[in-house]
Parts: sequence; structure tokens; C-alpha cells
Amino acid sequence: MPVRGAALVAFVGLVAFWEFAVARGYVSPIFLPAPSSVLLALGELWNAGTLWRHVSESLVRLAGGWTVGTGCGLAAGFAIGVWSLGRAVGVPFVSALFPIPKISLLPLLILWLGIGEASKIATIALGVFFPTAIATYAAIDAVPRNLIRMAQSFDLPAADVLRKVVLPGALPGILAGFRISTSIALILLVSAEMIGAQYGIGAFILQAGNLMLTDQLLAGVLLISILGLALGTALTRIERRLLRWR
Amino acid sequence: MIRITRRAALAGAVAGLAAPSLARAQNLTKTSVGVLRLSSSGPVFIAAERGYWREAGLDVELKYFTAAQQVPVAVTSGDADFGVTGLTAAFFNLAGKGALKIVAAQSREEKGFELNAYMATNAAIEKGFRSIRDFPGKRLGITTAGSTFHYALGLIARKYGFDPASVTLVPLQTLPNMQAAFKGGQVDAVIVPVTLARALEADKAGKILAWVGDETPWQLGALFTSPRAISEKRDLVERFIRGYLRGAADFNAAFNQRDAAGKEVRGTNFAETIGVVARAVQQSPELVTIGLPFVDAQGRLDVGDIYNQIAFWQQAGLVARDVNGKDIVDLSFVRGHMNVPRS
Amino acid sequence: MELVCEGISHRYGALEVLDGIDLTVRAGECLALLGPSGCGKSTLLGIMGGILKPSAGRVSVAGNPPAGSLNPITYIFQDFALLPWRTVEGNVALALEHRNLAAGELRARVGEALARTNLTEFSTAFPRQLSGGMRQRVGIARALAVDPAILLMDEPLSALDAQTRDLLMEDFLKLWLATRTTSVYVTHNLHEAIRLADRICVLSRRPGRIKEIVAVDLPQADRAMPVAARAMAELGERLWDAIRAEAQVAEREIADG
Ligand SMILES: Nc1ncnc2c1ncn2[C@@H]1O[C@H](COP(=O)(O)OP(=O)(O)O)[C@@H](O)[C@H]1O
Ligand SMILES: [Mg+2]
Repeated sequence: MPVRGAALVAFVGLVAFWEFAVARGYVSPIFLPAPSSVLLALGELWNAGTLWRHVSESLVRLAGGWTVGTGCGLAAGFAIGVWSLGRAVGVPFVSALFPIPKISLLPLLILWLGIGEASKIATIALGVFFPTAIATYAAIDAVPRNLIRMAQSFDLPAADVLRKVVLPGALPGILAGFRISTSIALILLVSAEMIGAQYGIGAFILQAGNLMLTDQLLAGVLLISILGLALGTALTRIERRLLRWR
Repeated sequence: MIRITRRAALAGAVAGLAAPSLARAQNLTKTSVGVLRLSSSGPVFIAAERGYWREAGLDVELKYFTAAQQVPVAVTSGDADFGVTGLTAAFFNLAGKGALKIVAAQSREEKGFELNAYMATNAAIEKGFRSIRDFPGKRLGITTAGSTFHYALGLIARKYGFDPASVTLVPLQTLPNMQAAFKGGQVDAVIVPVTLARALEADKAGKILAWVGDETPWQLGALFTSPRAISEKRDLVERFIRGYLRGAADFNAAFNQRDAAGKEVRGTNFAETIGVVARAVQQSPELVTIGLPFVDAQGRLDVGDIYNQIAFWQQAGLVARDVNGKDIVDLSFVRGHMNVPRS
Repeated sequence: MELVCEGISHRYGALEVLDGIDLTVRAGECLALLGPSGCGKSTLLGIMGGILKPSAGRVSVAGNPPAGSLNPITYIFQDFALLPWRTVEGNVALALEHRNLAAGELRARVGEALARTNLTEFSTAFPRQLSGGMRQRVGIARALAVDPAILLMDEPLSALDAQTRDLLMEDFLKLWLATRTTSVYVTHNLHEAIRLADRICVLSRRPGRIKEIVAVDLPQADRAMPVAARAMAELGERLWDAIRAEAQVAEREIADG
């Protein structure tokens, strides 16, 4: 706990120093708006009644994109991890497509899926899919072979070996992958909302950047950080529950 | 093979060095200007190439940027002393914080200059989108809120008396995204630069309804600097503008001439001047010839329009209410500005 | 049940590991397979249990498994092979869950196996909370829960420290004497073999061949008694002579890679 307190003290200290530096004119507010004006910008958003709209539209896209990407990524990861044909086909596929910057596909996604929610969700899903697939099959590869051999020696049917040995054995690695994929989903939120979004935290950040409204820009960034922190905490909770045995 | 003796080579080198070293001996004042590689910055390229600044005692470094909003940021941060670029809401937000002052004109939308087009998709046209009066209720793809395209909507809204908020803006950030959304019919209309408009028309994706300049002339871009430079180095600012205006005059003389019927005619030094601009924007002269903007030969601003721009952005909630045109424009460097509001 | 190996040879690619093994594991006996590391003991055990197909020869089983045996041929592993995410009782239950037992029977079998291995109070502990010796008890309990007809044990004690090994060996012996399940006990440890086995099959270094089979005539229950000490020591020396040279060469072989 004292370590956790240290992080808080350091954070508060940094923010206080930042506020002070702007207030005393060491830093121009054009370049770095004071924390207080960032909060003020957030407050304006709240008063205008659009804060919740931005957050909720983004949450829907994040949840949709992450769920689709994770579902497909798990399926692909399992196919690669437990099925040699799946591995032969899947690994080169994943290696070739993973490094593509998803943002460069936006025009194509618009042509295929339009500028509604589908293309935004697909952008996030694509970003989430590859790291999930890779984390999943790597986690399956890391399940100790002797445990599988043990299960087979007791005549467990293949489905049971998968469900009772491979899946729980791969779970830590898969959950670690979730940590990465939620961050990627948040990073891609801004890209996704480049596609004709009028609301959403990403759209708000883009607009603030395009208008050089740096206080609003940082307010949007703050919202994404808070979201990231909340998702990270939730994942830690889930990990603690599912991986109690560690 | 020609053999060059050492002495001959040395002599050549000395000769080559002579001109610049002479210039350096004049003690040129160093300064810099932020530009985009666009033909609308032609006056800058011409002034640099033809030594107009050197004659004014300046050694001007051209700093190239890739997006319009980077230029005012660079001037604000002191990375460049001057900037030339299109006017956007972002510009007015920075200028409103006391960081920038407009001192002369860059390009202007004018009748007969086909720079930016209002376009409708075939599907929208079939459904009755016949003219730009039909914008209300339609979905318009633009790059971003606060862009020059957004203002182009504001102009026709005022002209034809509809509420700009009755048009659904779809911000798509990049021109390729806009192109894709237009082709896919996800928007009813776009406002795009001439090259993209021609390409979309050639692809039979839609039709050009009107040209922005034909509809409403307006002050597209400007030359600006920091208030500090004006108060502390007024002499330098004046000399810079002198060189810039010679470039603007050359630009206008070469590219902006029209005959009595309003048809384009090639002006003074057309080919050579196109070459200068083409090299700077790194495109073929043929491509540059399409979409050459109008630049006032004397750098005069449409001041009234700048005030209108600010009012439009404030109306849209994109620029703070306390931003005032008077504080942003310095009219003392160029004579004969147009539409200067009285107050 | 009886397990008969006839002319078993095995090679991994070019590496010849076993050569012409003829061996019968008699019903109700504990047979130790003794030999230097790398001589093919684990390989032979795998072939006996049917999880490995020999390059040549065949394995057959004679007799019927006892009624109630759920997994006639059952392994106990050197590294315990416990699922870390399952509790002690969960690990034992793993061997039973797919057998479609009545809920009561499953619980009864798990409970009994845990009671026999003195694990009842640890039934809800996770493997990481247990010492090595306790973990191998779980491995043994899991094997007992299926009522095996033949137990195949691959150096089950060699991952443990000497003290734990002795304690667990005595406990295991007690359990074994109660059932006398046909067993093959692989070890490279002379003392384990002498303490547990009815017969000791000495293998040569790789490629493994049967060097000799030594019967230990004294009943296991009496071997720890002081009067038996002398006879046991003599037997130990005899076996040591048989394996020493092989062990030394094998040692070097492995060190040389
Ligand atoms: N799957 C395998 N593939 C190739 N070589 C193996 C494999 N398993 C074991 N070996 C080799 O076969 C030899 C015998 O192995 P093993 O049966 O494990 O011996 P032991 O159990 O007596 O130590 C060793 O040299 C080992 O390296
Ligand atoms: Mg072994």
C-alpha cells in the first residue's frame, strides 16, 4: 500500500507543479494549458450535456470492437494452437497482416462497410484481433505438455483435455493478451472515430486538435486515460478472481 | 572525356562561390517562413527563387510543413517568424490568444477560379439534389469541423439563407476517406479541391454543382507573423512583406490574367514562373497549372470576410466569443485593403 | 493382471534406445526397472502403457482388470503432473469426471483416495501451497482413485529431497502392500529398488538391454528389520557391481552430450 500511495503523491505533485508553472507564466497556456483549464473544459462538456454522449458512444464502439475482435482472435488462436492445419494456414496469415497499420485501411473499410458504426467497430476489432490471436496460440503453446500427456493417460476425451487442461492452462497468457488488446482498442478509438463520427471521445479529441483547442484536447486525453485506468483495474480484478490458484 | 586541370577547377569553384559570398558580405538578416507545398504559397517560392528577399536584405529560410494547422503553430512557438497558409478555425483560436497577426493576403477564392467544388453524388442528384440550395437535410462530408471546407458551407448558407446546422456534417479527416465515403454513397455531398473533384467526376461518382469561388469570393489564406515580431522588429517585417508582395505581383501577373470574356490567358513569364512553383510543390507543371488560385497582386486582404469567418466560427461554437477581428489583423503594412469594417 | 513385453526395440530416428527387451511383469508383483539415466527406462514404460509405439516387438496384457477399475493402466509421474488451477480434490477428481459416475460415487472415490494418502485436510488446497512430497501424494491419490490394475511409476520420488523420499517411500509401500497392484517402478536409485521391488530388472546403458533380473526374496515388510540388514547390504553390493561400470560410462556419455 505505501507504494501505491507514492504513485498518488507523485501524480499530485506533478499536477501541482504543472499548474504552478502555467500560473506563474513559465509555460505559455497556448502550449500547455493548466490542469485547471483542462478540468474547466471537462466541466463545460458536462454542462453542455455532451460529455455522456461522447463517452457512451465511444464505450459502445469499444465494447463492440473489442468483443468482435477478441471472439475472432480467440477462435483463430485456438485453431492455430491445437490444430496443425490451422497453424500451417494461420501463422503466416497473422504474421503478414498484423503489422499493417489499421489506419491505412480506413478508406477501404469505408467502401466496404460505410461510415456508420460497422466500420468504426471493424477498425477496433481488426486492431484487437491480431494480438489476441497471437497471445492465445502462444499461451496454448506454453501449456506444459506433460499435463496434456497426463490427461490422455487417464483417457480424457479430447474435448475434456481442451476444456480442462488446455484452456485453463492458457488462461493467464490469454488474460495478459486482453490487457494489451484493451489498450490497443483505446488507441484505435481515435482512428475509428476519424470515420465520420460526430460524437465520441476520439472524435472530440480530433476536433479539439483540428481547432487547436489544447485544453479540450487534453480533456479528451484525460477521459481516455481514465477509461484505460478503469479497464485496467477491472482486468486486474478479473485476473485475481480467475487466477486465484497462482 | 574532358580533362580539367586543377587550376581551372579551382577557378571555377571560386567563381561559383563569388555570388553567395558577396551576398553574405552584405550582412543579410536571417528569418524564416513556414509554408505548405501548395501552389497558393507561390508568392513565397517566387520571392525566394528570384532573390526578392535578398534584395531586401533578408536571408529567408523556407520551412515546409504538411498540414495547414502546423504553420500557425510553428509561428506561435517561434519555429518560424512568418507563416503563409489557409485560414481555419484553428488559426483564429491561436490568433485569439494573442499569438498571431495577419499582415497580408495569400490566396483568395474569386469568380472564374476553380479551386474548390461543391459536389453531389449521383444517388443524391437522382433524389433531387439539383443545386447548392438543396443542402439542408443532406449529409456533407468534410475533412474536419473548422476547415476551409466547413466555411465554404457557411458561405452558401448565408447566401441562400439556410441554417448551416441543418446540414449534417460528417468529418472524415482525410481526403482519401472523403473520396471513399463519396464513392460509396455514404455522404450526399462533399466540398473538395479541384484535383479530387475532377477525379471523382471522371470516376462518374457524382457531379460538380458549383465552384466555391464562383459562388462567393472570400479570403482563403493569409500571411501572418507574431505580434512580438511586429513590435520588436517592425523593420524586418516590412522588408519581408516587400519581398513577399513582389512575389505576389509576379504570381498574379503570370497566372491570374483574364481576357475581356473572362477566359484564362497566360501572363508574363508564365512558363518560367510555373517552373518555379512546380519545383517547390514537387509536382509536374501541367498538374500545377490546374487549380492555380487567385492571389492579389498587392497583397490586399478582404478584411470584411475575415470578420465574417470569425463570426461564423463563433456561431458554430468552434471559436471563443472573445476573439476579435480587430486584434488579429494588422492593416498597417499593405495599403488599400478591401471591405474594411468601419468600427 | 500381467504385462508381457516381447522383443521390444525402439529407436528415436537414428538413436537406438531399446534393444530386444523380453520381460513379463507378473500379476501382483512390484518390478523395478533399474538402469543409468538415458538407458531408455522411460521409453520402455511408455511402451508398456501404450502411449508409445515400439519400433519392434509387442506388449500384451493377460487377465482381466479387477471390477471397478476405471483406468486399468495408470501412471504416476516424476514431475507429479498436477493441474495448478485445481485443488487437491479437483486434481483427483479429474481422473474420474469423464467416467459418468454417479455423483455420490465420484465423491466417495475422491474422499477415499485422499484418506488413504492422508490428504483429507488438504483437499481444498492448491498445488502451489503444498510441498513436493505432498504433491506426489496427490499424484498417488489420483492413481489410486481409478483402482488401477497396473501401476506404472516413472521415478516418482526422484524430484524429492532424501528425507521426504524415505518417508513417502514407506507410506507408499504400506499402501501398496494393502493392494499389491501389479506395478512397474522405474528408478535409477538402488535403495528404492531394493526396498520396494519383488524383482529388479537391471538394464544396460543405451541401447537398453536386460542385463539381469534379480529377485529379492525377503518380504518387503521384513526388509527394514535389523536382522535383514546384512542380506540387504549384500544384495545392494551385488547390484551396485552390476550397474557401476555402466553408470560411470553413461554418466560420461551424457556429460559429453
Ligand atoms: N521423444 C524423444 N525423441 C528423441 N530422443 C528421445 C526422446 N525421448 C527420449 N529420447 C532419448 O532417448 C534416450 C532414452 O531416454 P529415456 O527413455 O527418457 O531414458 P531414461 O528414462 O532411462 O533416462 C535418451 O538418450 C533420450 O535423450
Ligand atoms: Mg526417465
